[in-house]
Amino acid sequence: MNSESVLAVQTLTKTFPGVVALDGVSFALEAGEVHALCGENGAGKSTLIKVLSGIHPSGSYEGRVLIDGCQVAFQSIADAEAAGIAVIYQELALIGAMTVAENVFLGAEPKRGALIDWHRIYAETRAVLDEYDLALDPTARVADLGIGQQQLVEIVKALAKNSKILLLDEPTAALTEAEVERLLQIVRSLRQRGITCVYISHKLDEVFEIADRITVLRDGESVCTLSAAETEKDEVIRHMVGREIVDFYPRQQVAAGEVLLSVDNLSVEVEGVKVLRDIDLEVRAGEVLGLGGLMGAGRSELLLHILGVYGERTDGAVSINGRLLSGHSPADAIDEGLVLVSEDRKRYGLLLEKTIGFNLSLSSLEQFTARGLIDANREILRNQVFFDSLAIRANGQEALVESLSGGNQQKVVLGKALMTEPQVILLDEPTRGIDVGAKVEVYELINRLTEEGKAVLLVSSELPELMGMSDRMVILSGGHIGGEFARGDASQEQILAAAMAHT
Amino acid sequence: MFFALASDKFLSPRNLSLLSIELAVTATLALGMLLVLLPGMIDLSVGSGVGLIGGIASVLVFEHHLPAPLAMAIGLAFAVCIWSLMGKLIIAQRIPAFIITLGGLLVFKGAFWLVIHNSTIPVSAGNTVNLYSLLTTYYFPAWSGYLLFAVIGGLFALAQIRSRRQRRAHGFAVDDFEIGFFKVFIGLQGLLLLVIVMNSFRGIPLSVVILAVIAFLVYVVTRHTPFGRYLYAIGDNEEAAILSGIPIQKVVIGAYALLGAIVAMTGFMQTAYAGASTTTVGDLMELDAIAACVIGGTSLKGGRGTVLGVLFGALIMTSLLNGMTLLAVSPEMKYMARGVVLILAVWMDVAVSKK
Repeated sequence: MNSESVLAVQTLTKTFPGVVALDGVSFALEAGEVHALCGENGAGKSTLIKVLSGIHPSGSYEGRVLIDGCQVAFQSIADAEAAGIAVIYQELALIGAMTVAENVFLGAEPKRGALIDWHRIYAETRAVLDEYDLALDPTARVADLGIGQQQLVEIVKALAKNSKILLLDEPTAALTEAEVERLLQIVRSLRQRGITCVYISHKLDEVFEIADRITVLRDGESVCTLSAAETEKDEVIRHMVGREIVDFYPRQQVAAGEVLLSVDNLSVEVEGVKVLRDIDLEVRAGEVLGLGGLMGAGRSELLLHILGVYGERTDGAVSINGRLLSGHSPADAIDEGLVLVSEDRKRYGLLLEKTIGFNLSLSSLEQFTARGLIDANREILRNQVFFDSLAIRANGQEALVESLSGGNQQKVVLGKALMTEPQVILLDEPTRGIDVGAKVEVYELINRLTEEGKAVLLVSSELPELMGMSDRMVILSGGHIGGEFARGDASQEQILAAAMAHT
Repeated sequence: MFFALASDKFLSPRNLSLLSIELAVTATLALGMLLVLLPGMIDLSVGSGVGLIGGIASVLVFEHHLPAPLAMAIGLAFAVCIWSLMGKLIIAQRIPAFIITLGGLLVFKGAFWLVIHNSTIPVSAGNTVNLYSLLTTYYFPAWSGYLLFAVIGGLFALAQIRSRRQRRAHGFAVDDFEIGFFKVFIGLQGLLLLVIVMNSFRGIPLSVVILAVIAFLVYVVTRHTPFGRYLYAIGDNEEAAILSGIPIQKVVIGAYALLGAIVAMTGFMQTAYAGASTTTVGDLMELDAIAACVIGGTSLKGGRGTVLGVLFGALIMTSLLNGMTLLAVSPEMKYMARGVVLILAVWMDVAVSKK
């Protein structure tokens, strides 16, 4: 391994309105190494990739990107590709109905006159496959291939463009163990042939198996770069979490009452793939149960399944207040006293072009409907109760939701859920993308709800929030329960270890 | 406005009366279309449906000698079933509304021709008069026009007073009594003017009263019932609507069922206006209905649109067609003008949505 860096990033800073995504990140790739990037959700890995691949164009960030020692300024994905950088995303961007070779040359078809030169497409794909010793049939239809092989097609596509640096973003998230092993094999053989790989993964076992060096990102900063041979998993985890918990979590515990939500031995699959296995949990009146885990561990999926809109149940049962939840729609769930505040409020929560009042009352119209007609006066009064108690900052309930800040939009979603007078409230990332002040208001609301004897199931990717607001925690890992902790009973390291237990 | 200047016949009581019947037909169908555009769907089959349902009723009356009300009831029930089925296919099977109703357009057209054996079936036997033929030929005599006006005016004023009392009971601000009075007064003046103009020809056409009733019902449904709220919610954000506990299947099927009933009513009126079921009854009416909705500010993406807007849009479309007929514009040009208006209307919709 020579020590010349093929790609270097120096003091890279990228800010979005209100958020610093990258804060002076520096790291360098040596030619022909496999370099792992590790960090929690939101540590800045994705943003870094977007800068390197030209999605965030030069000028939208500060700092320097160097390739072979020369500064580059990518304006587009095409610029990055021309410089030899290719990204293999977790979500594959292939066209299923086309063959492997067609996908490899998609958008760059060699032509003879106006017509596509099919012979060259197949011959050149074959040549790349042979050169890197990859087993794949250029004429196979992509839709007929497994996920692992489809990923290989993406890699071949990158190689056919003469890419020298591959950025693999969570490449194994959707793969089976055998496929993971095969992928790691391929990455090793690419390394032998001089391709430099950036390997991004939560899965530290894989990272240690494949990487030469590891750079840890935390809260948008590059914490350190370690040689894989000279470090330990524990040390990496310590660097990943090593921040102070700021104590702005005003959780006030109340005595837990009877069980309001109980999930027994639940297994769920989607199109034959198991996403949740043997999930057991219960939430009592007055209690906040925190649901932790890494992205893709099945947290949101569990909530959506309980609500009746996700996956097929292969085993187990869900009951609310002792009554089996038999119906299979959000309307039934709401009738039984269960609501969800979804993680993506714009997509799943709000009618952006409607007024605050329209949104607040949407799930509760029957409360002021008599003989089929809505009593507008009673509706306005009822809306005003929630408008005031949630302290929504807007110019009255006739204001359009799209004109509100993220925090106030979130309050509208919360108000809509609470107006249904639920017993059990599922909160999926309730403080995502809102400012600190609004966050504290959400925490205080959670306290108020538990004081009133409601049960709260709180999903959060922010460990400090999860640990600060939960009375108990259940950590999901790869669709299983990876661990359970009482409040104050676990360190961040233990929780992270539980989250990685089944990956 | 242009037509009023270009042809002195346009504003004549006789033409205004005809115009009002044409308006009743177009606007009624457009109000039905509004119900499915609000949740972001569409229906291209309503024109063929108008022909088919009118044809079924004609055949039942003329060939099977059923009483007209029974024949119309059968047609109405049939339409509600068919449209519910289309709604079910669209929302449960997730087949795009565009495709289902495009198929419906062809199927209904074929079925229509089959039902009337490609011939002309009058809406009543010989020169007799029945409820069916009266739909567009009956005019309320002058005295009943005024009576109708008085009743509507009274109800309107009562509703206004009741609403004020309720608002006050809930502690909301109400308009000054004078302002409230003038609102009612000006609205009624306009209505009275309409009655006087209509009476100077033959009286208020029955079809206009039918339109008024349907418009009132659609207004109440869209603005004052949970069902109506859900239509807007689904059109704005279907996924959020589902998670908010809205039974979207029931709502969308309900919207199509109501549209079916309105298609049937329009079918009876349009066929009666033509005097008989002929192979061209209902042709292209779906496009006039969509254009009327869009001109009136209804979004094709769903979530936006009002009854008043649709009535206004229908008035524009009807005036355009009626005016061109008065000016003896050739059918070729009329087709092209309709097409251009439709495109302009949708263009406007897209431009407004972007803002």
